[in-house]
Amino acid sequence: MVKLKIDNKDIEVSAGTTVLKAAESVGIHIPSMCYLDGCSNHPTCMVCMVKDTQTGKMMPSCATKVVDGMNLASEDAEVFEARKEAVELLLSDHVGDCEAPCRVACPAFMDIPKMNRFIAQGKFDEALEIVKEEIALPHILGHICSAPCEKVCRRKDVDEAVSICILKRTSAEKSENTYLPEVDKASSKKVAIIGSGVAGLAASYHILRAGHKCTLFEKESVIGGMLQTAITKDEMPQEVLDSEIEILQKLGLEIKLNSPVNSDNFESIREEYDAVIIASGSDSDEIAKLNLDFKGEKEAFKTNLPDVFAGGSLVRLQKMAVKALAQGKELAHSVNQSLNGQEIKASKRKFNSRFGVLRQTEALEYLKESVEGNRKEIKNTAGAMAEAARCLHCDCRKIDNCKLRDCAETYQADRRKFLMGDRETLKKHFNHESIVYEPEKCIKCGLCVEIAQRNKELTGLTFIGRGFDVEMAVPFNQNISVALTQTAHKCAEVCPTGALALK
Amino acid sequence: MNNINDIVDRIVSEKGKTSEKVIPILQAIQSELNYLPEEALKRVCEITDITQSQISGISTFYSQFRHQPVGEHIVRVCVGTACHVKGAGQVYDAFRRELKLAADSDTDEQKKFTLEEVACLGCCTLAPVVQIDDVTYGHVETGTVKDVLEDFLLKEGSESEEKVRTLSEKGLPQGEIRIGLGSCCIASGSSGVKEALEDTLDTSGINVDVKQVGCVGVCNQVPMMEIHKPGEDAVYYTKLKSEDVGDIIQKHFKSDSFMNRFKSKFYNYAENLTFTDIPQSSARYSVNEKDTPIAEFLKGQINIATEYRGEIRPSDFEEYKSKEGFKALEKCLKEMNPDQIIDEIENSGLKGRGGAGFPSAIKWRLVKQAQSEKKYIICNGDEGDPGAFMDRMLLESYPFRVIEGIIIAAYAVGATEGRLYIRAEYPLAVERIREGIKICREKGILGKNILGSDFSFDMEIFEGAGAFVCGEETALIASIEGQRGIPKLRPPYPAEKGLWEQPTLINNTETFSLVPWILRNGADDFNKIGTEKSKGTKVFALAGKINRGGLIEVPMGITIRQIVEEIGGGIANGKKFKAVQIGGPSGGCIPADMADTTIDFDSLKEVGAMMGSGGLIVLDESDCMVDIARYFLSFTQEESCGRCTFCRIGTRRMLEILDKIKSGKGKLEDLDLLEKLAINTKKGSICGLGQTAPNPVLSTLKYFRHEYEAHIKGTCPSGKCEDLILYEIEDECTGCTKCAQRCPVDAIEAKPYELHKVDNELCIKCDICRQICPVDAVVIR
Repeated sequence: MVKLKIDNKDIEVSAGTTVLKAAESVGIHIPSMCYLDGCSNHPTCMVCMVKDTQTGKMMPSCATKVVDGMNLASEDAEVFEARKEAVELLLSDHVGDCEAPCRVACPAFMDIPKMNRFIAQGKFDEALEIVKEEIALPHILGHICSAPCEKVCRRKDVDEAVSICILKRTSAEKSENTYLPEVDKASSKKVAIIGSGVAGLAASYHILRAGHKCTLFEKESVIGGMLQTAITKDEMPQEVLDSEIEILQKLGLEIKLNSPVNSDNFESIREEYDAVIIASGSDSDEIAKLNLDFKGEKEAFKTNLPDVFAGGSLVRLQKMAVKALAQGKELAHSVNQSLNGQEIKASKRKFNSRFGVLRQTEALEYLKESVEGNRKEIKNTAGAMAEAARCLHCDCRKIDNCKLRDCAETYQADRRKFLMGDRETLKKHFNHESIVYEPEKCIKCGLCVEIAQRNKELTGLTFIGRGFDVEMAVPFNQNISVALTQTAHKCAEVCPTGALALK
Repeated sequence: MNNINDIVDRIVSEKGKTSEKVIPILQAIQSELNYLPEEALKRVCEITDITQSQISGISTFYSQFRHQPVGEHIVRVCVGTACHVKGAGQVYDAFRRELKLAADSDTDEQKKFTLEEVACLGCCTLAPVVQIDDVTYGHVETGTVKDVLEDFLLKEGSESEEKVRTLSEKGLPQGEIRIGLGSCCIASGSSGVKEALEDTLDTSGINVDVKQVGCVGVCNQVPMMEIHKPGEDAVYYTKLKSEDVGDIIQKHFKSDSFMNRFKSKFYNYAENLTFTDIPQSSARYSVNEKDTPIAEFLKGQINIATEYRGEIRPSDFEEYKSKEGFKALEKCLKEMNPDQIIDEIENSGLKGRGGAGFPSAIKWRLVKQAQSEKKYIICNGDEGDPGAFMDRMLLESYPFRVIEGIIIAAYAVGATEGRLYIRAEYPLAVERIREGIKICREKGILGKNILGSDFSFDMEIFEGAGAFVCGEETALIASIEGQRGIPKLRPPYPAEKGLWEQPTLINNTETFSLVPWILRNGADDFNKIGTEKSKGTKVFALAGKINRGGLIEVPMGITIRQIVEEIGGGIANGKKFKAVQIGGPSGGCIPADMADTTIDFDSLKEVGAMMGSGGLIVLDESDCMVDIARYFLSFTQEESCGRCTFCRIGTRRMLEILDKIKSGKGKLEDLDLLEKLAINTKKGSICGLGQTAPNPVLSTLKYFRHEYEAHIKGTCPSGKCEDLILYEIEDECTGCTKCAQRCPVDAIEAKPYELHKVDNELCIKCDICRQICPVDAVVIR
């Protein structure tokens, strides 16, 4: 047995164990991208570095064997900085988007490409389920959203943007009356929402889904706030609003019309409810008289009162409905954290790799997995499916299980730090029946090369060239379907990034 | 094409079918077909164990291999350090222009010439150097590129066959003439001198031994000839020209018959009417004269690895033997056991000469103690530093010494098989070692029961295929095993798990060259030389902006100043001494005001440089330190194997930052970014290449930060960085129009007898105008 210390924890492991495994044995997690159990593990990525506290030397923990008396640091500032820089270097040579630009542009962060793919397959229920993860009122938004997503749609670089907004509305029209989201276990907590505009309604949806009770206080006799005053019936028929309200009521929403909140009843509402959300719009004089201190978006819409949260146009005038809707979601997020006894933090989007403008040749690469042609008219199911099929699948296939993205998130990497020279031109290889290869996302870990070799693939994969220009490729420029005949799934599964992924 | 298949089939039947033969097979295919057609590679996979994945990976990793056909002739522009500081980059660009190469091609339209950059031809004292096929041109300038190509085409096919002069039956020789025939001597014209000499001797009938010795080291004075006559002091002739040879011989030797003497006199009289005494172009020195450039150059040097420098014929076994060759081996085999040998090496204080300075005895003992049926020994001759040619010289000039050192080490550690890894760019070294191995086998020095002992050992050559990283021991081993030259994480060290997973001793060529001397003369004699922690001598390739460059062997502990001023004769052309770059791409720059730093492993490391393998380039005030840092970094960046993130991407990003700074677009923050990245790259790389690649950047940042800052402010103080300089013509201009005629981009309008003007919008900074101006009116601002 070998005795060593990592982060001052005493560890005893058998000889021949790697530092990485030794650390794991006492619950110290060391990130690694290129390590895989059962492979030869020549270190490449270098994010698993640890430091010898005696010599100050760094070593890749995935391949370094334990030595008696080692005293290692895996979490000090120097190690953190070095790992972070390794990730930043990899990012500087990683051409690809994590999330599609449309989703990034959406204030509600709706997973648009996923919705499109379901619609393209005719799966409208599944599509709506995706939509309603983020968008409480898809039917309403389907009429009045200014669709910032479509302004950044990469399809524009080929012909016209995908009709995202209408597709969303179509999915709502087709399925909203039948689909109700799952609701968490009832919590016995009660939330009061003041104001029934887009922000308030959206907040109520997410509160209800979390299993809490929710009551909406509206000072007017009709529900909807700005939806009633600023939107014409031509833009959005009344039935649309009615049907959305009906769904919220099905989820348990209690609505109190003609119920203004002011300094007279505010304290009693606070007493009755576990939390209060103020989403009352910008012209609410009564609320102003409460003399609350609003902290705003960065501080999770907190106020000076611990159980009161405020957002919507009250805090900052929101003309874009989808922004109000997004704020409603954020308000609910803060309240849900508060009710669960968690620390209240503004939700932060996960690290996102972006490569900017699509080049002409790249647009053609993207088009390979889509269909040709301008926007389709969406009159019926077939039209919606055809339009959704125009989506270019800009989002990465490894969006939820990319080790590079995870590390970038862990180390708060700055993806722009080393963006200097020209970026590589993006390529996508689709000719394998089950996997896609995107060389510019590869971090050269060599796992696929080794797996193909071990499984005696006749052609297999190889590294071409060396140094910065090294590329994982198929020998003699052959087709990737020739290269991986039995190991494609395994390679896609172990690939730490989206370079090799299942279709 | 059956033809290609036939060739491949024949090569495979010669080389073997196992996967480790891939590199020799590819080398053989390329030497026949001049590139590697895909068809040939596929054929190899069909008939051998070599897989498609392996052959594609290997053939694209090593830079020797080409996948496109090349032109009839190959133009190699040396971009080694010494050539770089003398404008090799501009020379390369000039060739591109002259050959009208398209942006994406290295071969001209007529398929006549293919242009390549080569890391170092090892002729640093003739910089900038260009090689066309096997013809070498020294001191090439951008303005003379056209002449070089014309000269080459003119003399194409007219080379006279090489004459080999053997000892004749003309009676006792009257003396001995020594001519150095190292690669650099040949490049400077030694073989022409040799031919002229043989002609003269043939026609005159003079009976003199002509001895072709190895590298003479005095590269700054070559071609050089030494004349030794019994009872007379030896005389040197330096910087010889072939047409001078006849006259010199006449002065020293008499023809053996009256008729011949008359004939030769008449012949020479007719030919050399213009000469009166000694030809003007050659300088003549007596061996005992003090203060001659040669005496100064040799003073202060100690020859151990280079013992009998300039005296012995490289491939003459008997002569090596007569000069105490193989004495040490004999002593070891007959009088010493392996432990005693290792003790002796330990007492000598010998440290590895490959750069890192690891104590040799520790390595040897580890291998000796390793339990294994089979052990290997490898001599690392993969010298790839631009600006270093020590290994090449040792292999070319003292093949038997290297072999002897290896055999002694093999006996000490119990290795039975050896490999000599030599760069394929060193054909003469390969040839000499191959010959040496063959002779040693014949003489019972290699093979079974060496010198009648129980010890059996043999070795073979492995020719490297062009990858600097293979100087790293684990990468070198991977390369011999037929893999991409990718270093492995150590431990395990090769001493435990080396070639084919067996214990392997791997030492540098120079280290092995020192071994016979140590065992012959005793550890104490070696230990006496040098400093407390660094013992013995070190061979350096001294080049750059210095009066006398060449190959030197100096005792450890000598100061930089002594090397530059005493041996090197100070800075050339009256310029100011600025810095020395020691250790090549792994080393650093030491400023002139630290010239009293001693040369030893520790003090060099302390000041941020490194012994490295021994390149020592002297820089003067006209050298830009940002440019120097960029130069070395671009080399290592190009040579990175691509495994570790920091080395693969980090060196590239550092290069991009330097480019930004060099072009005047840098910001002060970039210096911090650069420095931090450099430090992390040192920490986050597993092999010596990545760990040392940032050294040139860090040492220049440390000592010459003001130059970086000046670039950020928009000026290059040394007038080197293209984007920050302007060419101007001053009033001295006589209006001769020469500059205008030679300007490749018409940036100067020809106005006879008027002051000329450079249009800096058009100017590409090729420097031709400045070089060609007869009155030095062209200046850089």
